Order: sequence, then C-alpha cells, then structure tokens
Amino acid sequence: MTALIVLFAAAFYIFFYFTYGKALERNVVRADGARPTPAYTCRDNCDYVPANKFVLFGHHFASIAGAGPIVGPAIAVVWGWLPALLWVWFGNLFIGSIHDYLSLMASVRYDGKSIQYVSGELMGKSSKYIFEVYIYFTMILIVAAFMGTYGALASKSPEILTASVLFMVAAVVEGQLLYKTKLPFWLSSVIGVVLTIGAIVVGFVWPFIKCPNIQLLYMFQVIYIILAAALPVWFLLQPRDYLNSYILWGGIIIATTAAVFAFRGFNWPAYTSFAARVISGQPSPFWPTVPLVIACGALSGFHSIVGSGTTSKQLDNELSGLFVGYGAMFMEGMLSTIVITSIGAFGFTVFQGVADKITAAGFDLAKMQTDAAYFGQVGAEVINSTDIGIGGALGIFTKSFGQMLNVIKVPVKLGTTLGGLWASAFVLTTLDTTNRLARYAFQELVEPIKKVSKGLHAVLADRWVASIFAACLGWFLIAKGGNAYTALWAGFAGANQLLASIAMLTAATWVKKVQKVGGGMLAAVLIPTFVLWTTVFVALVWFLFVIVPVTAAALRVILGGFVILMLVLDIWLMYNFFKSWNEGKQNKA
Amino acid sequence: MGRLLDSLKRGFRSFDKGMREDATSLIRKQLDEEESVFALLTMGAFSGLPSPPTGVLLRILPHMSREISVMNKRSAGLDDVFSQTLGTFDID
Amino acid sequence: MKTYFFLGKGGVGKTTASAAWSVGLARSGMKTLVASIDPAHNLGDAFAADLGDRITHVADNLDAVEVNIDDMIRAYLDELSVKMKHTYSYMSAMNIDGYFDILKDSPGIEEYATMEAIKKFVALAQYDAVVFDTPPTGMTIRVLAMPRVSLLWTEQLVKMRKRILATRGMVENVQGRLEAQVDGETVVLSSDEKEDPIMQELVAYREELKTLKDMFSSDQSYVSIVTMAEDLALLETKRIIESLGKFRIRVHAIYLNKFFAMANPPDEIKGKMEEQERVVARMKAEIPGIAVKDIPLLRNSPRGIEALFTVYSKYLV
Ligand SMILES: Nc1ncnc2c1ncn2[C@@H]1O[C@H](COP(=O)(O)OP(=O)(O)O)[C@@H](O)[C@H]1O
Ligand SMILES: [Mg+2]
Repeated sequence: MTALIVLFAAAFYIFFYFTYGKALERNVVRADGARPTPAYTCRDNCDYVPANKFVLFGHHFASIAGAGPIVGPAIAVVWGWLPALLWVWFGNLFIGSIHDYLSLMASVRYDGKSIQYVSGELMGKSSKYIFEVYIYFTMILIVAAFMGTYGALASKSPEILTASVLFMVAAVVEGQLLYKTKLPFWLSSVIGVVLTIGAIVVGFVWPFIKCPNIQLLYMFQVIYIILAAALPVWFLLQPRDYLNSYILWGGIIIATTAAVFAFRGFNWPAYTSFAARVISGQPSPFWPTVPLVIACGALSGFHSIVGSGTTSKQLDNELSGLFVGYGAMFMEGMLSTIVITSIGAFGFTVFQGVADKITAAGFDLAKMQTDAAYFGQVGAEVINSTDIGIGGALGIFTKSFGQMLNVIKVPVKLGTTLGGLWASAFVLTTLDTTNRLARYAFQELVEPIKKVSKGLHAVLADRWVASIFAACLGWFLIAKGGNAYTALWAGFAGANQLLASIAMLTAATWVKKVQKVGGGMLAAVLIPTFVLWTTVFVALVWFLFVIVPVTAAALRVILGGFVILMLVLDIWLMYNFFKSWNEGKQNKA
Repeated sequence: MGRLLDSLKRGFRSFDKGMREDATSLIRKQLDEEESVFALLTMGAFSGLPSPPTGVLLRILPHMSREISVMNKRSAGLDDVFSQTLGTFDID
Repeated sequence: MKTYFFLGKGGVGKTTASAAWSVGLARSGMKTLVASIDPAHNLGDAFAADLGDRITHVADNLDAVEVNIDDMIRAYLDELSVKMKHTYSYMSAMNIDGYFDILKDSPGIEEYATMEAIKKFVALAQYDAVVFDTPPTGMTIRVLAMPRVSLLWTEQLVKMRKRILATRGMVENVQGRLEAQVDGETVVLSSDEKEDPIMQELVAYREELKTLKDMFSSDQSYVSIVTMAEDLALLETKRIIESLGKFRIRVHAIYLNKFFAMANPPDEIKGKMEEQERVVARMKAEIPGIAVKDIPLLRNSPRGIEALFTVYSKYLV
C-alpha cells in the first residue's frame, strides 16, 4: 500500500506534468524559447544570472520546501489520510502548481519584478502599508505557531532536542569551515554532512539535553530567535540553510526508499468524518477549512514570493519555467505525500506503542481502530495530549517516520531522530528568518511614528527592540494561548492562502489582459482562483466565529483583529480585481 | 561509454556549482547590500546624505564604477524591495 | 622640516609677517620656501617682486611661490573627469557631468585643494623650512582641521571596505574568485586588501592624512596669530586658540601688529592707546604660556628684503 501510494502519486504528478502542465505552458503562458529571459536582458551576474535549470530547480525547491509541507499534512491526517492526500494531489494540481508556475512566468515577463509588484501594475497600486501590516502579523503567527509545534515535539523527545541543538553547533562549525578556512568545498561539505549525521546519532545514543517543561522551551526559543536573528548570516543561518538542503534531499531519498519497500497496509483510518476535530479541538468541516491546515504541499502564497523574487531572475529560458516552477511544486506534493503515507501506514502503530497511556488518558484505542468517526473526534486530542506524549503533529510524523525507516532496518528511535531533525531544522531556520523579516517589517511599520515623535520612533526602530518585540509577541500568543498551535497554524495558513489569492488574482488578470487567453484555458485559471478566494473567505469567516471565541482571552483580540484585517483585505482584493477586469473590457470596446 | 562519462561529469559539475551557490546565497545578498551602502555614502552628494570630505571622494571615485552600478541597480529595485527581501529570506 | 603658519583676518599683516619671517630664516642659514596659499595673493608686493605659480628665487636661501588654488581645483577635476569618463563611459547616459558640477561647488573642495598644496610643499625635501602665507583665519582653521576630519571619514570607509572584502572573501572561499562585468570587460574582484584599488587608495590616503595631521600638531610646526590690539581681537584670538587646541595644534606666538607707539599722543588717539594697553594686559593675563609681541605701525609699509629683515629682527624674534 505504501509503495502503491507513493508510486501512484509519482505517476499522477508525472502524467499531469506532461499533459496539463504542458497545456498551460503552450496555451496560457505561451512560453517561447526564443524570447530572452530577464536573466539575460537584465543580466548583472548577481541577482540576474542565468542558471542551469536543474540547479535552479534545486534552489527553488529548497526554498519552497520548509517545515510547511510536513506540519500541515501531519495536522490534517485527523480527517483521515485520504482527504489529506486528495487535497495534496488535486489542490496541488488545480491550484498550487498553477499558482507557482504563473507567478514565476508573470514575473519573468515583468523583468523579474515580484508578483506583488506586478499586482500593483495590473490591478492598481494597492496600499503598500496594509500589505506590510498584514505581512507583519503573518510573521508573528509563524513565530508563534512554529514555536508551538517545535515546543510540543522537543519537550517530548530529548533525542530530537539534543539532535537539533547539536545540529546548530554543527552548522556554526560548518560556517567556519566554509567561509573562514581555505578547506576545499567538498571537504567542508563532507565534514558538515558527517557532523549532521553525528548530531542525529548522538541524539539517538545519548540524549543528554532534556526539557519536558514546554514553557521553558518557549523561553529558550525566544532567546534563540533574538540572538540568532542578530547574528551575521554567515555565522549560523547560511551554513544551516546549506546543511538543510542535504537533510531535505537525504530525507526524501531515504523516506521514498523506505515507503517503496515497506509493503504495508494503512492502519490509519482513510476517512474519519467531514467535520473532524482538527483545529483547536473544534469540529472543522473539511471544506472550507482544509486550506487553513494544509498550505505548503498543496498551495502556498509564499511560493509566489520566492518564485517571482528570486527564481524568475535566474531562469535561463522560458521553456525551463515549467520544470522549475511547476515541477518543484509537484515535488513538494510528493514530499507531503510521503509524510501522509508514513502516518497512514505507521501512525496507528505509534498509537499502539503508547496504548497504556492512551487508555490512562481516558481514550478508547480499540474504538479508535474500529470507529472512524470516533477517531475524528479524539485523534487530534490524542496526538496533542501532553500526558500521552506523542508530541503533536510533528511528533506523530517523526514517530511514524521512525517506524517506516525501521522497515529498512534503521532503529526506530534513530529514524525518529532523523525525521525530527529534518522537521526541527526547518522550523528553527524559519524562526530565525521570520524574526529577521518581522524586525524589518516592523521598522517599516513604525516609519509614520517619526512624524509624531522622533524619540519614540528611534526606540521602536531599534533593531533589538524590533526583534525582541516580534519574538515576545509570538511567545505571548503561544504561551498565553494555551499551547494552541493548531489555531495559530490555521491563522498563518489562512494568511498564506490570502497571499496566494493575491497572486492568483494577479495571474488571472495577467492571463486575461496581457496574454489574452480565452475559453477553456482561461477557465483553468479563473475557476481555481474563484474557488480559492471563496474557500479562503468562508474559512476565515468560520475561523472568526468558531475558533476565535474558543481561544484564550489573551489571544482573542489579536487573532480576531487579524482575521478581520484579512477578511477586509480579501474583499478589497476582489473589488480591485473586478475594477481592473472591467477597465480592460472598456479599453477593448 | 565516453559520452555517458561526459554527461556524468557535466551533471556533477552542475551539482557542484549549485551547491556552492546554495552555500552563499544570503552572503552574496549581504555583499550586495554592503557595496551599495558604500557607494551610497560616497555618492551622498546626490542624495543629500552627509558625504565624506571631497578629498577622499576624489581619490576613490575613479575606481567606484562597479559599486555605483550595484547601487543604481538596487535603487532601481527599491519600488519592489519589500517583496524582494521576503523572497531572499524564504519562509515555508 | 619646520613649517610656519601665520593666521589672521585679511589686512592685519599676515603676508608681511610671513615674508619677514622667511627672510629671517633664510638669513639664519636655513633653506626656506615661502608659499602663499591665499587666493588673494600679495606676497609679491611684500617682496616687491613678480611671483607666480612657479617657485622663484628671491634671495639667498629663499624661494617664494604663489599658488593658484582655483587653477589647482580645475586641474584636479579635469584629471578626475578624464579618469571617470574612461571608467564610467556607460554612465554617460545618466549625466555624470552633473556630478562634476556638484563637485566643483561641493563644500570643502577649496579646503581640500589648499591642503593638497600644503602637502605638496611639505614633501619638497630640499627645504629646511616652509613658511605659509595663509588665507583668512576661518579658512585656514578649516584647512588645518582637515586632516583630522578626513581621517575620521577615511577610517570609517576603510572599516566598511574591510567588511566588504571580508564578505567577498567568504564567497570566494566557496565559489572561487569573483568576477564582474564592467563596461564589457571582465574584472576580478579581489578580496585581498592589497589588490583592491579602492582599499589601496583609502589606505594610502589615510597614511598621507596621518602624516599631515601629525605634522600639524608636532613641535616642528609653528602656528602664530597676527592680529591688532583691539578689544574685539582678544575674544577672537581666544576662540582661535581654543579651536586649534581641539585639533591638538598649539599656538606659538601672538603678534599685535600696527601698534601705536608714541611718546606724547594727541588726545584724539589717547582712547585708542588705552585700549591697546588694556588688550595687551588682558592677553598676557588670560592667555598664559603664549608670547605676545607687538609690531609698531611703521611709517612706510615694509617692502623688499631689507625692510622685511628689519621687521623680523626688531619685532618678530
Ligand atoms: N606694521 C606695519 N606698519 C605699516 N604697515 C603695515 C604693517 N604691517 C602691514 N602693513 C601693511 O598693511 C597692508 C596689509 O598687510 P598684509 O601683510 O598684506 O596683510 P594680510 O596679508 O594679512 O592681508 C600692507 O600694505 C602692508 O604693507
Ligand atoms: Mg596677505
């Protein structure tokens, strides 16, 4: 079954790559191999430089595949593995990959400008300030949600905590080797990989760093974020990013191998119920809330920023765009498929491993096996219960992953530690970069205060103040919010999908007004755009009325305010879209 | 056989190049930033920033053409800088 | 090498004092150059000789020159514009000429050129002493302050450049030598401080500035103030001493020129003479450690070597 799913997914993506993807390339983008790309027309050998398409695929994929494609599906499996998988396949096929591909290619046609810029060009200058406020809140949610997921995982697994701390040390050493010594590149790389493996093995054999107190872990993360974001990039961020790409590819190869050779039936329910309790323990209807849970892997707005901000400047040929933009998104779908497969096949084995604790916590394991609806009610609770100690969404993934690797004779705990390092390395990297970005966004945001009070502005714009503020705000949300990382995650994912809506509306406008595409191919862009917009809108309304009221009082105002801001932005976007759409019509007439 | 070896070699070379780029992406951005700040300071007369004493300027200006072009490029991208920064420090 | 500067407002007698001083030095056997760096030249008048941009022999051991600062500035900018046109040809589209217009009027360009002139003469090894006939006080103080101010900037730029080269070095360690396309030519961007032309310029300039700064505040450099014995002069003199002190430049002597000295003054100038006495007394009391000397108002403006030597030997030393 595992092999079947993984191979089927591969076949699915490959088939649609050559049919649907090629059709998009031919009829919507009308990619022309003879048209020079910005990598040539604006060449500066720095940002703009043509790259080999395989190399660019690697860069692009490493940029878009972070912790997102792991965390989202690992939360969503409470609906059952099948709905999660279907969204990762069809959401990806009909929305996510089109989104990534079109935002890349629109940017290519606009000299490598970002899709947000293109959106300003096509749909009227939208207020930069609102966009920045919105991005800022998103960053805070990311900080909070990621601190929550990592806290839940690391507090229950000294192995993973130890490995991820050691990995940080390894990254620092790697930075010294790469940038400060004359060691050949291959040698520093080999040493880096060995150190990474060393971190995993030490974590497995001698998990000497323990911190069962999750509040304490949050505090450590806050300190880590503030310090890490203050360091020069070469010291930790860059070398860790570099080693992360080995973990990513290594993880994918090992996991695929294990999944193909596992020959295991799925013991996780395929489908629990339409309104399983996924987000914050509330009944969460699969539609419209699935995009609030699975973002990366199916659809992520942040991809449009990577694709249009960096990748579009390096594309060597318009005909490489499909492989890089579209193909990388399918690759991410494969990654999420593997995550779901491992939980589908081994998640219940993990449950059985802690059967006594599950029973002690008052859940009926036998009933979970036979009664899918019951599973849907209590699944998330079991995964997130600190008494049972699975370690949240990342916990169920890493433990299932460990079980799956056991098929190819890797000790369960070692495999778990590997999976755990994989996930946590990305989470910790994201925390670092997010805080840097939040700091930057905050400095932009407080700019108007300068007019009111120079002194206050100077204090607020200070990088330490900005950095500490963002980290502590995130800390406040997760710690005071009662560890409700699923709610924060859903908030972040909602913001992410809204970003995707901006990109999709822009892409649709571009396809219609500039590319002058009509008929079925226009529908292939327009329908997903409207489905996405409607889904996200309804989901946000649902979130506002169902999730916000049950969150901790401290969170309610911030989260509620942010959701309202997103809703306003959403409506405003649609309004802009129709305005520019009609303008186009008038021009024609 | 020779052709296979050749394409393997080429493949490895691309991989090596890609990994080297991967290992420096952020540092190269930082370099760009530093060079453009350097140019901005020396060309401050244009932008109303305090500029260094003319003597220093006259000495280094003839060697600054590349830095100035970096700065020009950066200022040309200023209307898009927020997204560019988000793209550099990718989240996901 | 010894250097001498005489500071003061226009018309107080700077030129007379520096010319007289240079004659005195030359007579004592030192090979001396007297250089006017005041755009309003009148050194030639003092020597009753035609002076100009070329160093001219005026007496035994004594040469004189009048530097044309404006010409110097123009020459600098022309040279620069040639260099820049060469390296910046691609920028012609964006009116780089505009930048030169800004430079021409950029604050400090005159001070810069003046400092360059001083640097040039100080570097001449054949003289034992150089006496500078300076422009009016404010300008001269700015010139004397320049090495220190420029040094601060240059050091800052060196620091920034170091950072850039260090960052370059990190990239270089991984990716090999960096190259860039400048005007269609491929140039190697070195991370080595010795190979980076900008760093080289900065470091060389820094050394020159250091030398100059040290020279200005060394005991081989004599700065004197020429003024008149008037109430206002007292305050001004104190201010000059104070601001020079900030740059660690010590004032050597104060000359009160055009001093009325007469046995039975008529009533009309009695008040003036009382003022003179008051000023001298206060100067001596309030500015300790600096010699105050007066030069009487002479019947004839001192012109020519002999007259200048008389001023030197009777009043300056
Ligand atoms: N002690 C003095 N007695 C008479 N005339 C003097 C005396 N000192 C200077 N002069 C004359 O005053 C005028 C201005 O002096 P100068 O040395 O040229 O001043 P500065 O260089 O400060 O402008 C000149 O004509 C000069 O000959
Ligand atoms: Mg004079």
